[in-house]
Amino acid sequence: MKKALLVLLIATTCAAATVAFTQSFTMQSGETRGPKQPINFPHNLHAGKLGINCLYCHYGAEKSPIANIPPVSTCMGCHKLAVTDRPEIQKLTGYFERGEQIPWVEVYRLPDYVKFNHKRHVRAGFACQQCHGPVQAMAVVYQYPPLKMGWCVTCHRQNLDNPDHPATMDCLVCHH
Amino acid sequence: MSEFVFNRRDFLKLVGVGVAGAAAGCAKPPADKLIPYLVAPEDILPGVPYWYASTCRECPAGCGVLIKAREGRVIKIEGQPEHPLSHGGLCSRGQAALQGLYDPDRVRGPLVKESGAWKPLSWDDALKLAGEKLSAAAQSKQGVAIVTGHETASLAALAKSVAAAAGGSALAWEPFGHESLREANRRTFGQAQVPFHDFAKAGTTVTFGADFLETWLSPVRQARDYAAMRARHDGFVIAVEPRLSLTGANADQWVAVRPGGEMAVALGMARVILSGNLGPAVSEHAALLDAVSGFTPEVVERDTDVPADTLREMAQRFAKSRPSLAVAGGISTQSEHSVALIAAVNLLNYVAGNLGQTVRFDRTLNLDGLASFGDLQSLIHSMADGKVAVLITHGANPAYATPAWAGFGAALEKVPFRISLSSTLDETAAGTDLILPSLHAIESLGDAETARGVHALLQPAMQRVPAFDARPAGDTLLALAKAANLKGAWAADWTSHVKAQWKPLHQRLGAGRDFDTFWNDAIRNGGVWEDVAATPVRWTGTPAFATPQLKGAGDLALVLYASPNFYDGRGANKAWLQELPDPTSKAVWGTWAEIHPETAAKLGVANGDALKVETEAGSVNLPAYVYPGIRKDVVAIPLGQGHSAYGRYAKDRGVNALSLLSPAEDGASGALAYLSAKARVTKAAKAMDLVLAQPLKDQRDRELAQVIPVAALLAGTASQEGMKVEAGTGPGTPGTPPQLRPGLNTEPMKHGADYQTPAHAVTAYEPDEKVRTPRAIPVDSGSYKHAKHRWAMAIDLASCTGCSACVVACYAENNIPAVGPEMMKRGREMAWIRIERYEEKVAPGRHDVRHLPMMCQHCGDAPCETVCPVYATYHNPEGLNAQIYNRCVGTRYCSNNCPYKVRAFNWFDYSAPEKATFSFPEPLNWQLNPDVTVRSKGVMEKCTMCVQRILEGKGNAKDENRAVRDGEINTACAQSCPTQAIVFGDLMDPESRVSKASHGERRYWALNELNTKPGVTYLKKPVASETT
Repeated sequence: MKKALLVLLIATTCAAATVAFTQSFTMQSGETRGPKQPINFPHNLHAGKLGINCLYCHYGAEKSPIANIPPVSTCMGCHKLAVTDRPEIQKLTGYFERGEQIPWVEVYRLPDYVKFNHKRHVRAGFACQQCHGPVQAMAVVYQYPPLKMGWCVTCHRQNLDNPDHPATMDCLVCHH
Repeated sequence: MSEFVFNRRDFLKLVGVGVAGAAAGCAKPPADKLIPYLVAPEDILPGVPYWYASTCRECPAGCGVLIKAREGRVIKIEGQPEHPLSHGGLCSRGQAALQGLYDPDRVRGPLVKESGAWKPLSWDDALKLAGEKLSAAAQSKQGVAIVTGHETASLAALAKSVAAAAGGSALAWEPFGHESLREANRRTFGQAQVPFHDFAKAGTTVTFGADFLETWLSPVRQARDYAAMRARHDGFVIAVEPRLSLTGANADQWVAVRPGGEMAVALGMARVILSGNLGPAVSEHAALLDAVSGFTPEVVERDTDVPADTLREMAQRFAKSRPSLAVAGGISTQSEHSVALIAAVNLLNYVAGNLGQTVRFDRTLNLDGLASFGDLQSLIHSMADGKVAVLITHGANPAYATPAWAGFGAALEKVPFRISLSSTLDETAAGTDLILPSLHAIESLGDAETARGVHALLQPAMQRVPAFDARPAGDTLLALAKAANLKGAWAADWTSHVKAQWKPLHQRLGAGRDFDTFWNDAIRNGGVWEDVAATPVRWTGTPAFATPQLKGAGDLALVLYASPNFYDGRGANKAWLQELPDPTSKAVWGTWAEIHPETAAKLGVANGDALKVETEAGSVNLPAYVYPGIRKDVVAIPLGQGHSAYGRYAKDRGVNALSLLSPAEDGASGALAYLSAKARVTKAAKAMDLVLAQPLKDQRDRELAQVIPVAALLAGTASQEGMKVEAGTGPGTPGTPPQLRPGLNTEPMKHGADYQTPAHAVTAYEPDEKVRTPRAIPVDSGSYKHAKHRWAMAIDLASCTGCSACVVACYAENNIPAVGPEMMKRGREMAWIRIERYEEKVAPGRHDVRHLPMMCQHCGDAPCETVCPVYATYHNPEGLNAQIYNRCVGTRYCSNNCPYKVRAFNWFDYSAPEKATFSFPEPLNWQLNPDVTVRSKGVMEKCTMCVQRILEGKGNAKDENRAVRDGEINTACAQSCPTQAIVFGDLMDPESRVSKASHGERRYWALNELNTKPGVTYLKKPVASETT
């Protein structure tokens, strides 16, 4: 009886896991790996083809723990004049003229008990791509790293003896 | 059959997969939105805090504050170090101002009362309605009256001119307006002002019921000066009061005077000084001696129960340690003859030569414009007589803070139209017809001249909280004046009115800057400080002396005192202050009646039993708090609770003891007599619960809070005392103080040769000192491998007054939930730091009360770390005892194994909005510090030594490519401490303040015999020996 119950438990678990895995697989494959954004902002065009520095828009990344989402006015800095005829740009102009913020969909989400500091990592000389992946090639930004603790720790462990910017393995640095 | 091995771990793994699968199979929750700025404000960066200098308006003292804002939300208030009076400290009430700003029960927009119910209306309609009423009243020459709180600058001027234009009067009124203090100084010194009392300079300080460390005048500034006096080790403080207040508990000697007898003691001391020629020569010697001739020590003993010898000794000490200082005028002594008491104390100061020394008329506290209780009564009479057509109130709550006999409530009903500019629905606002809510002080521009030469500014540290559609009170007054077509040159708006008021200051103090530069500089610093010279004063007259007679049939004197948590009651709507244990009784969320153990025994009541306190005016039921620090013929009740409105945290909580007062006031000053009644106390059937955060005030020989005789300090023999472990002493050796006994189970763990540090061990600490006996050095030695810091604290018990500002600062910084009385009753308080109060000896004479701030000791060998099954708590390389919330599974083993009991467990979801236990109802959650995790149910938490501040400080140093400077990183508790009793820093820096303090001669560690190697070093409290 006990054994039967156990087998049943294992079987259901496996079934559930399979469903979950296939679902997540379909969601994460192909071109639509990232969430749909209110405006199709192509990072591959801005950061890739045009070669705009990441920090031009996300200027908070080297000054603040938070890498800011650029204010709409930053977009309008160029797009007041640049390619104003495209429908996506007109969407942008629409937001700006209505005085409405753009409700961008969050791609990178950390739980509340994880405190990540952009400034420290950027100032230690890490390229944005090290964590965020080849954003300059992404038409739609998706979550590149697994964002699991093991992924953070791997890099920290590798840099423990970094002469200039030794990483720490202290839990308290991120969890407080 | 083969054994099918299926252990607990495998089972958990499988279940884990099952749950993960199930969760992933469900629809994904909608992703969060990232809302950018439309146009980014200049210089504002998300994630970076901004600080705004301003002024605290939680009491008339007006301390300087720095307000911290993140992403446009104010999240913390700290003291402004540059302020000429408060010098960086901030009290518990100032810290809690945030909860007034985000009070969920604040008025959300203009409200009009229609057939007894509040109805929202638009600002335009509200102003139109109010304007019509005001204009009708002004035209018909009926009275218009404006009542404000303590306003000293632009708003006072505006209220006055609006009232004058409408043919009425404006009154600035405070419940604790210290009318008698001003009147007595006018009579004796010719200055109707509140002088500057220099506690730092005083050798002997005698307080006649003035609670100068709690609510009296400028507590933060006075506490700082008190600490400076204590640092000299030669100061002596005597408290002459029938009930040992927190100030009294910090004194060296308690003279338990009969209530109302303080004046006789002061005059008796003056007589001893004059007749013995102990003081400096004064020209009025003969006249003064004549005035006090009746107060011989024997007569004083008969009338006040103060032994004649004690009186002589006090007088001699007072005259000898020049300059000395005597202060009086606390709320608990405000009687029908309080002017006489203060005049007597003035006389005492005068004959001891303290005038111009410790009592100076230079930086006088600005209470000059405050109306007296008598003035308010005149207004009440006009209101009752129908002579007031429109009443406007702002920042004052007379309906609560005056006794029923004054008749404010009844008179208010007689006023045809009443307007309140209050931001909360307090008792006075509840009785009005129209509420035009004002902005909180943190959201608005304003100014105040809180003391002479201190021109303080308030600046909005954030835009108004969106939930509350309020306007600056000044703007509302201007709009009312304009809507009513009142004649006058009204400024375009409040800002230009304030600026116009500052034009003369600019001319005087501008120093060549143009107005805008001057204004911006003033805004940046929180005001302009002007040097002031002392007004020379002399003795101008000896008033008549009279002792108050307490009325009523009871046998106990009723002493009402100002609550250090709630002040006059305005703090009661803040959960932090309700949950903050009262510094004396350690009671929370209620009111209690303090009686002497013998009185309690006679009545047959114990702590918490119900009492009925009855006077001629009324009766209240209260739980008893049995307190040895009170005379047998006295019952004492704190003020500030018992609100009938004022939001969810204040309403129907405790009792308002003002209802026990019969008509009585000081005819000389028009002050309300709080000390005027006798009470009959009997056992009652029912009263509210007494919830005590610390029921026992006894150390039980654990020597947690230690003292050291001053003589040993001065002789330089202090370091030997209690530091050395002598041979032959051991556990159980009779006579060995516990902190000298070697621990029982503190042998260091022995490892074999092949021992390897396990992979999970983040702890790098290897103690140098592997001994069984308690150590004698702070934990800065030993190997932290390559760590650069050992964060630590030193807490000086000489200057800790027990005021508890640190506790509220910690609540604010670390997102600690207030859990409410029911949870507190079960001992489930969440505070990370508490002030333990130990009453070694409480009796008239030399008493011994010790206050011990207790928080996580960040032990070098922490008992909590070894018992955590999941490594959620461990020792970090910089000496911090870390608690990782997401690892914690809530076994609570750590808390059970912590000898200091400083860990708090989340029994309920205080952070989940959908739960009844939610502790941060919108918009209180706006205050939460984004740098600190909000903990969820089932998680253990404790003091982190503000690790978020440490990381920020280290980051700043790294940005500038330098080492961390001492004092640059500070914990919230240390920052707030008015006396700087808490010092935080790096023990590995031998030059740091904490290193020096921790190696000083007074150091000791709490429960040192357990060999926990705490990172918190206490400094023993020096006590004057019996003979000095």
